[in-house]
Parts: sequence; structure tokens; C-alpha cells
Amino acid sequence: MAGILDFAPAIVLLPFLSFLIALGAGRYMPKGGALAGIGATAGSFVLSIATFFAVSGGQTYNQHIYTWATGAGDAVSLDFGLLIDPLSSMMLVIVTLVAVLVHIFSLGYMNDEGETGLPRYYAGLGLFTASMLAFVVSSNLLMAFMFFELVGLCSYLLIGFWFRQQGPPSAAKKAFLVTRFGDYFFLIGVVAVFATFGSAAFAGPEAFPVLAEEALHGEHAVNTFLGMGEQAWFTVVGLLVLGGVVGKSAQFPLHTWLPDAMEGPTPVSALIHAATMVAAGVYLVARMYGFYALTPTTLGIIALVGGFTALFAATMGVVKKEIKQVLAYSTISQYGYMMLGLGVGGYVASTFHLLTHAFFKALLFLGAGAVIIAMHHNENMWDMGGLKEKMPVTYYAFLSGSLALAGIVPFAGFWSKDEILYEALNHGLGTDGGLGTVFLIAYAMGLIAVFFTGFYTFRMVFLTFHGEPRSETARDPHGFGWNVKFPLAVLGVLAAVTGLVNMAPVEDLTGIHLTFLHDWLDGGISSLTAHHYLEVLESGVGAGLHPAGIGSIAPGLVSLALALAGAGLAYRLYNVPEPVEHTDKLGSIKTVLYNNYYQDEYQVWIATGVVQPISRALDKFDQGIVDGVVNGVSSVSLFAGGRVKRIQTGVVSNYAALLTLGLTALLLGLGLLGGWFA
Amino acid sequence: MVPAQYYLVLSAAVFCIGIFGLLTRRNALLFLMSVELMLNAANINLVAFSYYWGNVTGQTFGLFTMALAAAEVAVGIGIILVLYRNFDGVDVTNATTMRW
Repeated sequence: MAGILDFAPAIVLLPFLSFLIALGAGRYMPKGGALAGIGATAGSFVLSIATFFAVSGGQTYNQHIYTWATGAGDAVSLDFGLLIDPLSSMMLVIVTLVAVLVHIFSLGYMNDEGETGLPRYYAGLGLFTASMLAFVVSSNLLMAFMFFELVGLCSYLLIGFWFRQQGPPSAAKKAFLVTRFGDYFFLIGVVAVFATFGSAAFAGPEAFPVLAEEALHGEHAVNTFLGMGEQAWFTVVGLLVLGGVVGKSAQFPLHTWLPDAMEGPTPVSALIHAATMVAAGVYLVARMYGFYALTPTTLGIIALVGGFTALFAATMGVVKKEIKQVLAYSTISQYGYMMLGLGVGGYVASTFHLLTHAFFKALLFLGAGAVIIAMHHNENMWDMGGLKEKMPVTYYAFLSGSLALAGIVPFAGFWSKDEILYEALNHGLGTDGGLGTVFLIAYAMGLIAVFFTGFYTFRMVFLTFHGEPRSETARDPHGFGWNVKFPLAVLGVLAAVTGLVNMAPVEDLTGIHLTFLHDWLDGGISSLTAHHYLEVLESGVGAGLHPAGIGSIAPGLVSLALALAGAGLAYRLYNVPEPVEHTDKLGSIKTVLYNNYYQDEYQVWIATGVVQPISRALDKFDQGIVDGVVNGVSSVSLFAGGRVKRIQTGVVSNYAALLTLGLTALLLGLGLLGGWFA
Repeated sequence: MVPAQYYLVLSAAVFCIGIFGLLTRRNALLFLMSVELMLNAANINLVAFSYYWGNVTGQTFGLFTMALAAAEVAVGIGIILVLYRNFDGVDVTNATTMRW
């Protein structure tokens, strides 16, 4: 009997079909192909739910679909395959749900606003969703890499959707190039994994995390390079793959593309930030967590990068004027938390945050989209104000998302962010040596970022919705229909309640079992379960983490207090009828923050000030030395030929004379050597 | 019986006369004659060795060479005619267009 999991490929293929339909026939269809997209993603969503229930019944699916290349003697085979386990089935539900809501919202944001090029837009959305879903169910690293790239391509197409304007094409190019820079390392990492293990499967008998673990136990050998030991080499491979993660998940220093990506249509921003593109990076680390768990150095770096990014981006979010810019920096910051969680061994906590963040960030972006519709595409928060009464649905949904983002109990973000911070503290205090210190530093940065998160989130809420309207459009906002309100309502509820699936502090307090996500991620394929990862993390060959065994209530209260302090400060400063730009008091700090710490400037400087001269020098070397040698050889030959050709006089007597001389010389030579004259 | 060396000396002498003619003359007809001399010098060698070893193969080859020489003369005369037409004479040193 065909199980529901045999229909899993359809989850990926349906959005792909909608891509083809929108591309081929979109212009002849009502709504520019939107209905095909909505139908396809809704179908995928239903199938994902069915898959989710099948997986919760204990089934998993690790199926090889197609081999497109094999190495000599079947040493390496490059496959496409599907891997459905608790992690990927959960991700499937998130991606398809957000995708279907984004499609519906696009009806209000794009169709009702009279945009042109809608078939192209819906084709892009379809392909984007399909590639992300294929990435999620990838059974091996190479396939993951291919769809990772496709996700990047789709983001390029969609960010640059309004290609006739000035900003979007350059933002699209920037997003593509910056993420490509990271993906370059990822590609080398994929090759390194193949060269080391001969297989890049995530699960199954040849799963490379398992092979790596066995290699560290000394059970069998793997190929290492550059004369490194296995541990050191695995660290190098892990860091290479991490390059792609840092680029896609917009971690410092490759985060600069993400704020610019706000040039794209707002529903696309919601899709990019909540469920696809940016989530891909963190998901990849979670997918091959068994490998990362083996290398403490990589974990330390992930934790530090994550903690630093969380704080760094949060500070920039404090001073921004545009609502979408604030959200962009909050995205970078929140993904920083996820990386922090993965780095400190909080696999479940990070996955949890991925889940809750997908919902509340999609909600916030769609809410911002609704505000932008109402404001006739003016994104400046200083022109808003007082929208609360005019758009109550948007306000309450947005408020729900903001409470989740700021981490106020009992909204979703609190539970997940708090669990990440708890894991960081717990493992930071318990682990000996430098790694523990690194975790504590990352924890401190994450904790400070909580305060900033609370502040910028509520600064945004108060500036947008509270006080007096500060412009003509804010006094008389543009209305919108059900297709905007419906996704907001769905996500608003989810942002409020998703956190309830995993309430570790309440479990500590009451003793009632409430950590359902832990149970969920403990099921499925044995080498991909949360407790397996924990065993590896705490084993001698792995990272050697030790939990300190502290309770989760006190750290939770600390981060809640900080979030409330941030929100309270925002309330004091901005919840007034006529708010002023208090951030001006920061003086030159504000300038630095507003210019994103001059990250763009220094990266442009690296490109023009460092890379360009190097390329010029290399070009000179190429033109001068390499080409010079080649040209020199040819001109010497030409010159010599020009001289030697004079022998060819055309006078037949000369040829005869030379022949005779040659014959005589030959005879003399033979005679001398042969001793005729002796 | 005449020893084989004499034939060889004769052949060498005829060959050298041919070469001498080739190197000193400019008339194409004399060129052709000199070449014929050299060819016949080689023929003498063939016949002499054939005689020396008592093997008729060499003499057969000599006959072939004669036929070949006749054909060669026909071709050579044709070339000389063309030379005369294009360069107004049979002086081989005038025909120097076939170079670099």
C-alpha cells in the first residue's frame, strides 16, 4: 500500500508546477497566475500536514530517487533523494504555510495595487517555494547545495522584481553576489565532504556525520588532507560549509545584503525572511548537526558569530526610520540567536526558534506590508502614527508578532529565545576551558541584544500605530480586503500560541511534561535525533560539552526583565502623541548606527581598495609575464624564420650546390667515423 | 674478367661529370643532360653489381631505370618549354619566383 510519504515528492513538484503555469500561461489567467500559486502551495501545505502526521506516527522516509552521476568503480555517486524526518517535516509545514499565506497576501499587495508583471512575480514565488522545499527534503549535501543556489537565484529574481527602478536591481545583485561569496566556500566544503567520506548523505548507512563520528572513534579511516588530523580536518570542512550558512542566513560579516533586500516587494521579504532563503542557512546547520557536534572549534565560532550578530544587528535596528529596515535588522538579529543556539548545543532550542520566528516574522512583514499599502507605499515610520484605530486587525496581529519578537511571555518568541539563552548559559557554565568562556561571551551578547530587541520592536509599534497621525496619508489610510487580513489573522494567532509546544521553564516550575518539541525531534532516524546529538556533544570525541544543570526559570526571568525594560523604555519615549527622535541624543553613535557601522563602506573599500589593485597586479602579471613569454617565443621564431628563409633563393643551381655540399659532408662524416681514411 | 672496381670507378667518374655539369651550367637543357649522366652512373652500378653477383635483378632494374629516364626526359623537356615561355629563355637562374 502506498503510504502518504510516497506522495512527498509532490510537495516539491506542486509549487514547481505553479511556476511553470504562471510563467507559461500566467498572462492569460485571471489574477496573473496567483490562483495557480495559491492552489499549488495550499496542496503542498495539505500534503505537508499529512506528512507531518505520518512522521508523528513514527514513519520516516529516506528514499533515493535518481542518480545523475557515478564515479569510477561506484566510488562516489551523486544522487537526488528525499529525506523526511521530524526536522524536515516540521520545516515543510512552516515553509508551505508561510508560502500559501504570502501568496494570498500578494493578491492584496500586488494585484489590488495594480502592479504589472504579475506572471513573472508568481512564477518567481512558485520557483522560490519549490526550491526551498526541495532543499528542505534533500537527502544529501550536494542536492542541498544545488537547491540552496536555486533559492539564491530566486531571491535575486524577486528582490529585483521592480527592475525599472534604481534600487531593486542593485539590491538584487548585491544579495546574489554576497550570498554567492559564502556559497563559494560551501561548494568547496561539499567537495571536501565527498573527498573525505565518499558520500554526502545526511542519513542512512553512508551518512557522513555518522562516518565522521566513527572515524573519531577510530573505527575506520577517512581521507584527510593537508596533513591534518581528523578532528582538525573536520573543523576545516565544517567551517567551509559554514561559509554558505553565514552568507544565506545573513550572519556577520555577510549580512549586508539583507537590509538592501528590502527593495523587493514586501510579501517577498516575508517569504525570504521567515521561511526560505535566510532560514536555509540555519536549517542546513541543523540538518548536519551531527557533524558540527563533533567539532568544538566550529561550535565556538558558530556561537560567537551568532551572539555577535544578534547584538550587532539589534543595535542598528534601534535607529532606523523605515519600518521594513527595522524588521530587516531584527531578522539578522534573530537568526543570530538561532546560530548562537546551534553553537552552544541547543539543537532543539534553535529549531524551536526557527519555527516561532518563521511565524512571527512572516506576520510582522505582512503586517508591515499592510501598513505600507495603507500608507500608499511610504515606509517612513515618522510619517505614520495613530494607525491603531484605523486598522485594528493589522494592529492586533502586528502587536502579537511584536510581543513574540521582543520575547514577552507568553508569546512564541519568549519561549524559544529564552531556551536558546538558557542553553548558552547552561553549557557555558558547565563546559570547561575556552569553549565554556566563548559560550558565556556569546550568552552575554545575546542577553544584551534582548534589551535592544524589546526597545526597537516597541519603538516601531508605537511610532507606527500610536500617537497622532503625522502625515496626510496616515490620517486617511488606504483600505484593503480580506486577502490582507486573513494571513495576518492566521499568523497572529500562531505567533501567540506556537510557543506553547515547548515550555521548558513552566515544565521546570510545575513538573508537568510540556516540552513536546523535544519529544518530536527525538523521533525518527536514530542518527538524526536530538538525544543522539546531545550524546555526541557530551562525548569525549565530540565537543565535550557539559550542562551545568541550572534551572531554566531564573535565566528566563532575567531575559524577560530585559525585554520588558527595553519595551518599557520604548513606551516611555515613544508612546506619546507627538514623539520626537530621541535617538538623536546618541549623537555620533547614531550616525554610526544609521550607517550600519560603515559595513557597506568597508566592504566596498575591500573590493575597490584591496581586491581591485590585487586584480590589477595579477592582470599585469598575466599580460606582462605569462603573455610576454608566449609572445616572446613567437617573435623570436618569427625573427629567426625571417632571417633563415633567405636560404630559399629560388635559384635551382644553389639548391644543387647545397645538396652536393651536404652529400659531400655526409660522406666525409661517415668516412671519418667509419675509419676509411685511417 | 674485368674486376668490379673498374666499373665503380667508371660510374663514379660519370656521376662526377654529371654533378660538375649541374653546378657550372645555367642552361636547362644541359641540366637535363647532366641529370641523365648521373642517372646512368647509377645504372652502371646496378649492372656491375648484378654482373658481379651473378644475379639478374640488378640488370632488370637497369632496364626499368632506362624506361624511367625516357619518361623523365619527356617531363623535363615539357618543363623546359614552359620555362622558355615564361622567362624568355632556358637560363635556370632567371626563374627565381618560387621563393619565400
